[in-house]
Formats: sequence, structure tokens, C-alpha cells
Amino acid sequence: MLTLLKLLQSLVKALHSEGTPGQVAAGIALGACLGLTPLLSLHNLVIFAALVLLNVSFAGGMLGLAVFTPLGFLLDPLFDRIGAALLRNPALTGLWTDWYNTPVVPWTSFNNTVVLGSFAAWLVLVAPLFLWARWAVARYRETYGQRVANSRWFRAVKASRLYTVYGWVRGE
Amino acid sequence: MRRHRRDRTGRGARFQLFRWRAVGPLLFFLAVFLIVWALFGERVVKTQLESALGTALGTQVDLAGLRIREADAAVDLSGLAIADPRNPRRNLLEAGAIVVDLDPAPLAEKKLVVDRLALSDLRLGTPRSRPARPADPRSPAGRLLRATEQWAREKFQFPALALGRLDTLKSLVLDPSRLATVQAAEALARRADSARTTLAGALERLQVRTLADSATALAARLARADPRKLGIAGMKDAAAAAQRTLQGIAQVRQRLGDLERTGQSTLELLEQGVNDLDAARQRDYALARGLLALPALEGPDIGGALFGKPSVEVFQRALYYAELARRHLPPGLQPWNRPGPRRARMAGTTVEFPRRNEYPRFLLRDGVVDLSFGSGQVALEVSGLSSQPALYGKPTVFRASGRLGGAAPVRLELQGVVDHAGEVPRDSVAARIEGVNLPDLALPGLPFTVHPGRSSLLLGFTLHGDRLAGRWEIGAPAARWTADTARLAGQSVVERAVWRVLEGLTELRVRAELGGTIANPSLRVSSNLDAAIAAQLRALVGREVEKAERMARQEVDRLVAEPLALVRSRVGEFQTLARERLPLEARQLGEVERRLQAELKRFAGPAGGLLDLPRLP
Repeated sequence: MLTLLKLLQSLVKALHSEGTPGQVAAGIALGACLGLTPLLSLHNLVIFAALVLLNVSFAGGMLGLAVFTPLGFLLDPLFDRIGAALLRNPALTGLWTDWYNTPVVPWTSFNNTVVLGSFAAWLVLVAPLFLWARWAVARYRETYGQRVANSRWFRAVKASRLYTVYGWVRGE
Repeated sequence: MRRHRRDRTGRGARFQLFRWRAVGPLLFFLAVFLIVWALFGERVVKTQLESALGTALGTQVDLAGLRIREADAAVDLSGLAIADPRNPRRNLLEAGAIVVDLDPAPLAEKKLVVDRLALSDLRLGTPRSRPARPADPRSPAGRLLRATEQWAREKFQFPALALGRLDTLKSLVLDPSRLATVQAAEALARRADSARTTLAGALERLQVRTLADSATALAARLARADPRKLGIAGMKDAAAAAQRTLQGIAQVRQRLGDLERTGQSTLELLEQGVNDLDAARQRDYALARGLLALPALEGPDIGGALFGKPSVEVFQRALYYAELARRHLPPGLQPWNRPGPRRARMAGTTVEFPRRNEYPRFLLRDGVVDLSFGSGQVALEVSGLSSQPALYGKPTVFRASGRLGGAAPVRLELQGVVDHAGEVPRDSVAARIEGVNLPDLALPGLPFTVHPGRSSLLLGFTLHGDRLAGRWEIGAPAARWTADTARLAGQSVVERAVWRVLEGLTELRVRAELGGTIANPSLRVSSNLDAAIAAQLRALVGREVEKAERMARQEVDRLVAEPLALVRSRVGEFQTLARERLPLEARQLGEVERRLQAELKRFAGPAGGLLDLPRLP
């Protein structure tokens, strides 16, 4: 229930943030990486830093994280197979061997089937996801956005403490 | 950096790519992370280390404390306890303090290179206050433990030295379906039957008889015909018919040749199977003998019955650790897999990509273990322990020597090599312990117990590829024997006679030798009791036992006679088909072929090259 509420909160905040649809979509695309791939990996530190430092929607990132985390759990067996196929591909062995013996790179755990498989899946999905999310956010704002923004429950969500913290991060 | 800013629906304006104001909060998060790491980092590393070691060794590993000294690139561990995978109430070892000096450079590549490891206050075989968690049966180490236990059970069976049950001679009831000979003979008969049906079917489909008859008729027609009277067209027709038939014969003969070769190889396999039935019959004799609970009269059997099980346990344990070493220190440089880290998400598989002249994933350059017990001291040195031995290029060597105790010290010498640098791994260990007090040993199935007292132990074990070589010896110069007098009173004259042998002995010597391969190991166990007990038994019950053995053999022979006759008959039928009928058919076709070729030549002669006769095959 709490997860559902958080998801709803992320959704509302992302859709009604000050950011443009492109910024929200970029945030969702970056957040998808945090959700799809195992969270405690070095590449996710880079993604998180990008989410904070780049002028993209942080709330969009949290929305991406909230939506794609359960999806990541569900798709782990598929990621495992994708990662295994990539890591065991003889044509790529040289590349993996180079990376495995390069400083810092092994800390990304790229040589784990689930990490590599989920990251590869995110790389494939990121562009279509960004384009679709940008279109969807723009369409929402043009149609239902104003009505939802005037509703009582939306104002309640916006007044919550979490939103204040978000605003602080967002620099509002 | 400025770009066009867009409004809330995505149109127009300019915007900044970087959000510089977020640097502050990011630094704040970083500071929070560092504080959390300082507070809980060591605890997390300790838990991870316990988990990783536990998974690797297949048993519970506990650490009382862990301290990371970042400035020195060193880690201090304390209170290490590794539970015995076979006995959850005991620790294999406990170590008071461990200092690990790391080489910092390989850490950037997520590799752990230990320059020096010093371990002190080590104790072996200590009791646990709380029983250890049992090894996860699905873990690689758990599976390996079960596999080696099963290996020991299946590969080594020793006759029980069951004495005084000769009255069961009359009640030998053998279930034919349990006899290996019957099972093997029935399976072989089915195979022979199936092979005969297949071969006969293939022969039938070739229709050799029909072809031979039509070819014979054609040859006869050509023999009666005069080429000069047939004319050119008639000669051509006759020659073409002969040529078609010859081509058909050639194809069928080729198929017959194939069938002959297949039949010959199948027959060899069946004959081999018939020969193997003798070995199965020997096992059935042993089974019948076991059902009669006859006492073993041969020295090696007595040694195996008395000391086989403890000997196998020693070698099974050595094999488990050798196999465990092979799993964690694999030979060669090919990528290899290990389970991914434990986490809420699926663990997956982590693939290692070792490369020559690079650091291995784990390397212990030098380790010093100080085993101090009271007034004694033993030093253990380990060098070159690497998770990727082919990268390190040198074997792992460990050696220990020293003396423990005061007035009556125990001397220990240990040396081992784990050589996985080449393609064929070789693991060996040699240990000698002198002056150790061995626990009492009850003789299986007998009311006697030996108290070895201060003894010497010798263990040698080598696993080279899949070849085994092992030696285990006990020497107890002041052994004592005790009998369970209550049980002994109810035993037969045989047990009492054996007891008279044992109570006079003051020495125990046991020697077990392991050989062969993992798939086909051999074990020979002997002791100084064997000859004495065998002589005593032979004198008392030798004739009775021989008679019973003869009876057991006759019973087995009676039960296997019919299946053996059946299998011989089936193999004989196949033999007749493969060695007689097939060559006969081929010969008959060959004769017809020769006759047809002769007629074809006769037709070609008068034509004098005018006819464009088809080429002979």
C-alpha cells in the first residue's frame, strides 16, 4: 500500500513539476536504469549523480525508479539470459577481458549476468522510453493536467514534507 | 551552458543543462554516505565476509570483529570460527586474531591481493556453544559434500565380520530379480533380440532373394540368346537390362557390406556383454555370501570389515577438500563462472575473465599461522594461494611443523601442494602426527573395543587429474582391548575365540591404501589382527564356511542358469544372422553378378565396338 502511495506521489509530482516534458522524460529514462538494474552498482551512482546534477526532473527519476523496480524484479530471469548470452559470446570475450582487468570498471559488476543483462535492456529501451514519456507528459498536461492540479488531494500531496524536500533538491 | 528553454508543454524558451545548485545537496548526501559507512561499513563488510566464506566452505563462518585500517590498507579480524560441516556442534578451527595486509593497487580492479596474513591463537576441533546452521544443501559446497559422501557409500562396501550366524545357512532365500546376473542377462537378451530384429528387417527390405532370382533368370536368358540373331537393337536392350540389374546388385551388395560391418560391431558388443556376465555373477556370489552372513576368512576382508569405514572417512574428507580447492581455484585461463552476490534481486552468475600477467581475483602471497597451545608451538606457512592459479603460475604450498604439549608432546609435520597452475591439477597432502591420544574404536558388529592410547598417524593423499593415491596408517604400540562381557556371553564360540586372539595383542597397526581413479577407486585395508583372526576363524569354522559358500554359489548358478541360456541363445541367433546369413547372401549375389558380367562381355565381343554398350561397373 505504501509503495502504491509512493508511486502515486511520484507520478503526481513528476507530471506537475516545473520541468518541461523533455526534462520529465529524461528523468524517467534515467530513473528506469536505477529501477531495472540492481541498485547497488557503481553505474547507478553515476546515473544518480546525473539525475541530480543534470537539469532533468528529479521527480521523473523517482517515478522511473518506482515504476521500473518491480519490473526489474519480474524480468530478472530474462536479464540473466541476456547477460549470459553477452558474457559467453566468444566475439565479446576480448572486450570483457579488457574491462575485467581495467581499474574501476569491475566495480560496476558488468560481469554479472543480471547486471549486464538489465543494463543492456535499459540501453535498448532508453531512447523509445524517453520519446514516449515526453509525448505522454505533454499530452497529459494539455488534457487533464489543469483539472488535476486544482483538485484538493493534489494540493494535499504538494503540501507534504516529501514535496518540500524535493523542492529543496530541485532548487525551487 | 545554455539551450533553448521550453515551456510546460515542451515548446520554446532556453534552459541550463547542469543544475549547479544541486552540487550542495549532492555533497550533503555524500557526507551522509561517508558517515553511514563510518558507522556501519565494517559491520556490512563483516557480514559479507562471513557470508562469502560460509558459501565457499559450505559451513557456518562467524567473525567476532572486523576493523578496516584504510591508511595502512589492512584489515584486523578477530574471533574467527569455522564450523565443521559434518558436526554442527564442533568448530574445525577458531582463530583469536588475524591481521591482513593488502596490496592497495589491485583493489581498484576489485581484486584482493594479500601481501601477508598473520593468524594467531588458533585452536582446532573446539566445541561450539550453539550448533552451527547446516550447510545449504543447494549450495555448491553442500552439493559437493553430499556427492563425496555418496561416493564413499557407493564405491566402498566392506563385508561385515558377522560371526556365529552359521545357522542361517539353511535359510538362504535369493530373489532372482535382485541378482545382477539376471538383470544384466535379461537386458542383454533384449538388446540381442532387438538387434536381430533390426538386422533381419533391414535384410528383408533389401529383397536379396528376389534380386538374385531375377538376375539368375536374366543371366540364363542371355546365355540362351545368340547375339548375332538379336540384331543391334536387341543386343542393346539385352545389354541395358543386364547393366540395370548389375547396378542394382552393386547397390545391394554395398548395403549388405554396411549391414555386415554394423552386425559385426554389434556382435562384438554383445559378446563383451556376455563376458561381463561373469563379473556380475561374482557380485551375486558375494551378495549370497552376504545374505548368509558368513565370516570373512581372508586377511584383506577382515581388515576391511574392521577398519574400512574409518579409512574411507579419512579419504572422503581429503577428497572433499581437494574437490573444493578445484572448484575455487580452477586450473587454466578460460572464463569461469561463480554464483552472483546474494541480494534481494536475482543473484545471476558472475563470470571471471582472467588474463595472463594481470592480478588474479584473490591472491595470498604469504600467510603465517601461529598455532600455540600451552607450552608447545606449531607454525604453519602458506604461500601462493590464488583463486586463478594459472595467472600466478606457481602452486600453493603449505607446511607446518612443531610440537605441542609438555611432558608428552605431540609432534606434527604437515606439507601440502595445491598445483592448479597447469592444465592437469595436482593436489597432495602429507601429514605425520606422533604421540597423539586416539579415541576408542569399536569394532563394527562385534562386542570389542580397542583403546589405541598414544599413537602415531600418517596420512598421504594425492589427487592428480582424476587419479587417486592415498595412504593412511595408525600405529598404536600400547593398545588395549576390552570386551562387552554381557554381549560376549551371548555370542558364539567364534566370537569368544576371536576375543582370545585380541586380548593377547598389545599393539594395533592399521594401514589403508587408496588407488585407482575417482570413478573406479580401490582400497586395501590391512591390520596386524587380520592374519591372527583369519587363522582362528579358519580353524574353527573354515569347513562350514566353505560348504556354505559352495551352496551359495550353487543357488546363484541355479537361478541365473535360465537367463544365461536365454541370452546365449539370443546372441547365438544374432551371430548366425551376422556371421553366416549375411555373408551367404553376399556370396550368392556375387556369383550372379559374375555370371551377368560374363554374359555382358559375350555380347560386347560380336559387336566389335559397334555397339555403345554401357560401361561395366
